[in-house]
Formats: sequence, structure tokens, C-alpha cells
Amino acid sequence: MRAVSVAAPRRFDLSQLARTWELLLLLTVRDVKLRYEGTILGFLWTLAKPLLLALVFSFALSRVLRIDVGDAPYVLFLLSALFPWTWFQSSIQFSAGSFSNNAALLKKVYFPRFVLPFSAVTSQLIHFLLSIPILALLLLAAGYRPGPEWLLGVPVLMAIQLLMLAGAVLLVASFNVFLRDLEHLVEVLMLLWLYVTPILYPLSLVKERVGAIIYLNPMASLIQAWRDLFLYDQLPGVDIWPALVFAVIALVAGSIAFKTLEGQFEIVL
Amino acid sequence: MKSSYNGQAVIILENVSKRYFLHPHRVRELKRAILHLPTFLKTNRARQPFWALRDVSLTIRRGESVGIIGPNGAGKSTLLRIVSRLAPLTKGKLSVRGRVSPLLELGAGFHAQISGRDNAVLNAVLLGLSRKEAQEKLPEIVEFSELGNFIDQPMRTYSSGMYVRLGFAVAVHVKPEILLVDEVLAVGDADFQRKCFDHIEKLRQSKATIVLVSHDLENVKRFCDRAVLLNHGAIAAEGEPQEVVDEYLSSHFEFSAGAQEAGDE
Repeated sequence: MRAVSVAAPRRFDLSQLARTWELLLLLTVRDVKLRYEGTILGFLWTLAKPLLLALVFSFALSRVLRIDVGDAPYVLFLLSALFPWTWFQSSIQFSAGSFSNNAALLKKVYFPRFVLPFSAVTSQLIHFLLSIPILALLLLAAGYRPGPEWLLGVPVLMAIQLLMLAGAVLLVASFNVFLRDLEHLVEVLMLLWLYVTPILYPLSLVKERVGAIIYLNPMASLIQAWRDLFLYDQLPGVDIWPALVFAVIALVAGSIAFKTLEGQFEIVL
Repeated sequence: MKSSYNGQAVIILENVSKRYFLHPHRVRELKRAILHLPTFLKTNRARQPFWALRDVSLTIRRGESVGIIGPNGAGKSTLLRIVSRLAPLTKGKLSVRGRVSPLLELGAGFHAQISGRDNAVLNAVLLGLSRKEAQEKLPEIVEFSELGNFIDQPMRTYSSGMYVRLGFAVAVHVKPEILLVDEVLAVGDADFQRKCFDHIEKLRQSKATIVLVSHDLENVKRFCDRAVLLNHGAIAAEGEPQEVVDEYLSSHFEFSAGAQEAGDE
């Protein structure tokens, strides 16, 4: 008698898939518009924040602590990792409340709910993509020559980070419905995560001290790959495998969490 | 089953049951969960099952209007939520054919900072249209809402009347195949209610299937071909609206006494 079978009509049919995609698109456009509408400085602020942050870190770490980052100017060294990191961090932060803050909507209308956290990831992706040309300009100004490797490297690394984020936001947003505190916890954890990831300092610096443990950080190999691509036009190689493994783990864990918890949303929301 | 409809069955419920758990002392804050960990683990397990629906079997055919009546806590809204897939069922089988829309979830998902136009499109897609259909319907929606130039203003500048008008304009133009109405008709002024009923009547004529949950027995008699009486989560009577309503009224006092125990829906 425990058997539950819901004949979900046409779950995998094309129109349902198309509708999901359209919803994701509309929500993404809405988020981006919300960011930029009415303010000329809207987009500039998206850029200014990591840029200003870069200046602060640059002063603290390269002038005061004198971290050795090789021949690259510290600001460029930092930004080449900080831009992809910002995409990662703000996606997770903005999506954490995407179920719990949309209770009114989730209670009233049925639609594929995962589009809500995903739209946070995609709208942050747009901001990230817009920041790439700025980075390219800065590199050019410093005498670097961004090569054609970017055309292949950017989509590949983007795809890996997208998969990782898809899983992570499903996980965080689903659990946040039941424990709202997670939202605040995530904010602090992301700050910690920033410091343990080789963003402010080169990977080689920690690898010497802690060894391969650094690869237990899902973002370590990915951030390093972004930096190698942006600074040295190096395509991601085998070194990227930890990021791939973590992307798969995140995706599986996120899907399971979402599938099991979604049925209980109605009780809590 | 006293139904003159022989069309295709669009909603089929087979022995559908829905169980909720009542948690008298549920803790949802991390702080309290950690500070009182032993109590947290104990009380969070102390849950009492509550069957909102028990073994409900119901077939609704294309073009039919079915009214669901019953006292508070009988499971009317739960039934509607299950059909609209907002609530998963505990046991049984459900199959729904066609695009289901809730009527007048006015402005679900409207965002105050963006324009009425953008909100209308997103809302229409949420309610089941494709983006292309929504774009095509947009001029009609704008016209119907009587918003004029305001349509391109952010919705925070709208009066509550304008807000509702846009929500309603979208709802009217979504043209669902299956319309679920949940007692919302009690909300709004007389003029607005009349507009709602005009809309339901029009949909009825265009052969949409309608499920109406209501306390207004007159409306059920007027709009429905069939009525279903729910009590304590089970179907107590089903058939001609007049007969079912009479049966409900004659046993009303018994029911309301029982509903007190069962709690709210």
C-alpha cells in the first residue's frame, strides 16, 4: 500500500523543457535588469566591487606582506582569479534564499522550481562574462596578449563551474527552506572559503606547505585553471580533474537533496 | 455517477490519500536546535499523522464544472493543491491531462522594481503560456488592464487597484484547459467578483474544465454540473449540486462539530 505512483503527464516532453528554459531566461533577464535598471553605475558597480577589493588586497598582501606571485602585477594576478570567484560566491549567496523568499509564488503556482536558484547562477554568469573584456583590457594595458586559447578555455571552465554551481545552489537553497540560518552561515563560510582558495596567493605557495590536501578544496584547481588561462593563455589540462569530480558530486548531491526536500516545501513554506 | 458528460477524463484521482504530520514543537532555528539538541531530536520525532484526504476517487471529464463543498478542514483545498501538483500525494494515483491554471493567483511573482509589461509576460509564462504566446497576448492584456502608459512603469508606482487589474488581465488571457478556483471569489469588491464570474462563465462556454472550491453554496448550484461533498477528507456525497448541497445543509451541524477536532485546512 505504500506504493506511490503519480502519472506525471508529459514530464519529459519538449514543450515542458521549452517552458523551463523560457522561465529560466525570463528570470535571468529580470535579475540582470533589476541590477542595471535606472542606474548608469549599475554595471560599473559590478566591476568596481572586485576592482576596489583588488586594490585593498593588493595593498595589504603585496605591499605589506609581500607575497611573491612571480612576474605578474599583483592586481592582475588577483583579478584573474577574483572575477570567476565572484561569480561563484554571489551565485551561492543570491540563490540561498531563492526558495524561502519566494514562498508566495511556490505556494500558488506549479512550475519547475529549480529555475529559481538556477536563475541566480545564470544572471551572475552574465555579470562575469561582462567582466572578461575588462580583464582583457587591463591585461593588454599591462603588456599581455590575450590569446585565442581564451575562446576554448573560457567555455570549458565555464561549463565546469556551471555544473558545480548548479549542484551547490540546489543543495543550499533546498536546505535553506528548512533552516533559514543557513543563508547567514553561507555568507561567513564564503568569506572563509575565499581565504583558503588560492585567489589572494598562488597555488604553489600552499602546495609547498600542505601538499595535495589543497585539492580537497573544490575551487582550488578550478581557480588555478582560470588564472593560468587569463594570465598565461594556458588551456586547462589534466590538473582540472578535482574540479570535475567535485562538479559531479555537487550535481548528484544537489539533485538528491532537491528531489527529497521539494515534496516537503509545502509544509514549511 | 450522475454526470451527463461522456468526454475524455482529464482529472483522475484513484484512492488518493494525503497525510500531513503535525509537529507540536517543531524547531526551525539552528540556534535553538543546537542549544537544545537532545530535546530537538526528541520532539522533532514526536509527530502526529493527520490524514487530510482518505481514499478519494474522482473522475472529472473535459468541459465539466465540479464544485467541491464541505466544512472547514474537510480537505477541499488539499484536494485542489494535489490536482495542481503543489502538494505531493501520500498514496494513490493521480493523472491530469491538460494545462492546469489556478484562477486569480493574482500577481503571483510580480516584482515591484520592474515594469508591468515585463511582469505580465513572466506571470503569463508562470501560469502556463509559452513566451511567444505571452508576447502575442500582451497587447490584449495591456488593453484589458486599462493601465495605459503605466504599463512601462515599475510596478512599485502602481496603486493596489492597478496591481490587481494587471494580475486579473493576465489570468483572463491565460485560457487554461483546467481551471482551479479556490474560494478567492470572496475577495475583492462586488464589481471585481462580477468580472470573475463573467470570466468563469466564458471559460465554461469554451469547454474548459472547472473545479470550484467554495463555501458559497449558491455559486456552486449556479455554476456547477456536479458537486462533491467532502467530510474528514473523504467523499461523503457526490452528484447533482442541488441534492448534494441539501445533504450538506441537513447534516451541517454534525459536520461543524467534527471540523473543530480536525483543525484547519
